[in-house]
Amino acid sequence: MALSITQACIGCFACKEVCPKNAVTVAEQGFMIVEHRCDECRSNTNGPQCGQICPVETAITDNQGRALNPPGSLSGIPQKSHVIAMTK
Amino acid sequence: MKLDKMTDGKQPDSSQLKADTQAALVATHPCFSKEGHQYARIHLPVAPACNIQCNYCNRKFDCSNETRPGVVSKLLSPAMAARRFVKVKQHVPETKVVGIAGPGDPLANPKATIASLKAIAAADPDVHLCISTNGLALIEHLDKLLEVGVKHLTITINCIDAEIGKNIYPWVYFNQQRLRGRAAAQALIDQQLLGLEAAINAGMLVKVNTVLIPGINDHHIESLAIELGRYGAFIHNIMPLISDPAHGTYFGLMGQREPSSEMLGAAREKAGQSMQQMTHCQQCRADAVGKLGQDIDINSLENVEPALPPHIRVAVASKSNLLVDQHFGYATEFQHYLITENSIQAEANFSWQQYCGGDEQCNDDKANRDLNQLAHFDLLLCSRIGLAPRQELEDLGLQVDTHYALRDISDALRQIQQQMQSEQSNQHHLLVANAANAGCGGKECS
Repeated sequence: MALSITQACIGCFACKEVCPKNAVTVAEQGFMIVEHRCDECRSNTNGPQCGQICPVETAITDNQGRALNPPGSLSGIPQKSHVIAMTK
Repeated sequence: MKLDKMTDGKQPDSSQLKADTQAALVATHPCFSKEGHQYARIHLPVAPACNIQCNYCNRKFDCSNETRPGVVSKLLSPAMAARRFVKVKQHVPETKVVGIAGPGDPLANPKATIASLKAIAAADPDVHLCISTNGLALIEHLDKLLEVGVKHLTITINCIDAEIGKNIYPWVYFNQQRLRGRAAAQALIDQQLLGLEAAINAGMLVKVNTVLIPGINDHHIESLAIELGRYGAFIHNIMPLISDPAHGTYFGLMGQREPSSEMLGAAREKAGQSMQQMTHCQQCRADAVGKLGQDIDINSLENVEPALPPHIRVAVASKSNLLVDQHFGYATEFQHYLITENSIQAEANFSWQQYCGGDEQCNDDKANRDLNQLAHFDLLLCSRIGLAPRQELEDLGLQVDTHYALRDISDALRQIQQQMQSEQSNQHHLLVANAANAGCGGKECS
């Protein structure tokens, strides 16, 4: 049970600021979640704090690889799949 | 909102701040006064995290030839920030103002922001300290800001109507959750106004920035300015939206138009009925240096003449009082030494609340222990240290060294002094802070 940080991360430190378990660390390869510390904020009804503040879609995933903030969920910028092609 | 407490048309701040002190605060600040342009400012990029999203901001983008707020090339740790300030001050003695403006929100990074401000104040007690914030966490941190001597504050308030705000802020992280829509905007506006009122009552000089967004808040500027006047904000800075699609912001990609200069002029004129207007803003980046409009390339200074630390403050964790033989987590006090080029001086021991409880399983309630108290040290020597505290200390600008484990303290100190002397002659920094750099705020633009 632990969350992960993906390559989409922009390294803004926001998750590190709010993680109650101090589980976010900066390694040479980038930001990482220390597995044994992360309990996915089980006791917090608002859910994982990193996922709540992260400004980038798909940067944080659960242990199934599912994004906590899937594409389109934060920016409001329409995804290609939502665009209906115009008829000529 | 606490508007009913205010008296109409009165400027409550005038009674708080004596006119002459206020004039002095204003005259030398290039962001508060047009006449301040002969003085220079430095923005220190120590605060990457943000607690809200604005539709005119894209945090992913960072290109060195771009100038707009929210953008920065390289992050600094508080210690590096202090060194950069000292260096810039040597080259540009007119530097009177040190601001922290991001690239995120300074108060979403309270530890780094406060540590940097403290370090700057220690280096130059005369410099004006200021921060530029979205105001969401202002109330929470106001006392600390006052304590370190912040007198100038900028709050970006784009509207005081959540119906408008929901079109500017897609989300706001408040009370441990991501709010969206109207609730997000309302939470932000409430906190901004509480913070504005408290800061003014505390005697701060408050500038309010407003981004003028055609079709979204342009019709609202006048009523906003009236409210700001009632609160007693010092000056109002209405800035035109930047919405170049190349920046990848929501507004940019969605084709939101920028205001024309006529529109900007009209907004300033209307708002000018109730608020003194600022018209010379250059919308600088979070790492701008120099006089307004004449930015200095920090890299050109970096190589010229590095400012050398005149002394190093060392904390040593020791069980035996002879060797560097204690794990950081178990230390209850640190030996304190001041090393200069010519002397090694022992100072009073620094007592400290043990970081680790020594539980079988290391549970992380210690995450709350305030490592900030150690921020006045430059170097920590210990036998071992956990990854998390090491990183947090390095973020605060402390260099952590375990290479001297189980060695004689006096030998270690002498070796550090020698290193300092040789570095001194090589014109290099002794301490190369490395932690904050790793968090790349400076990704290549793609």
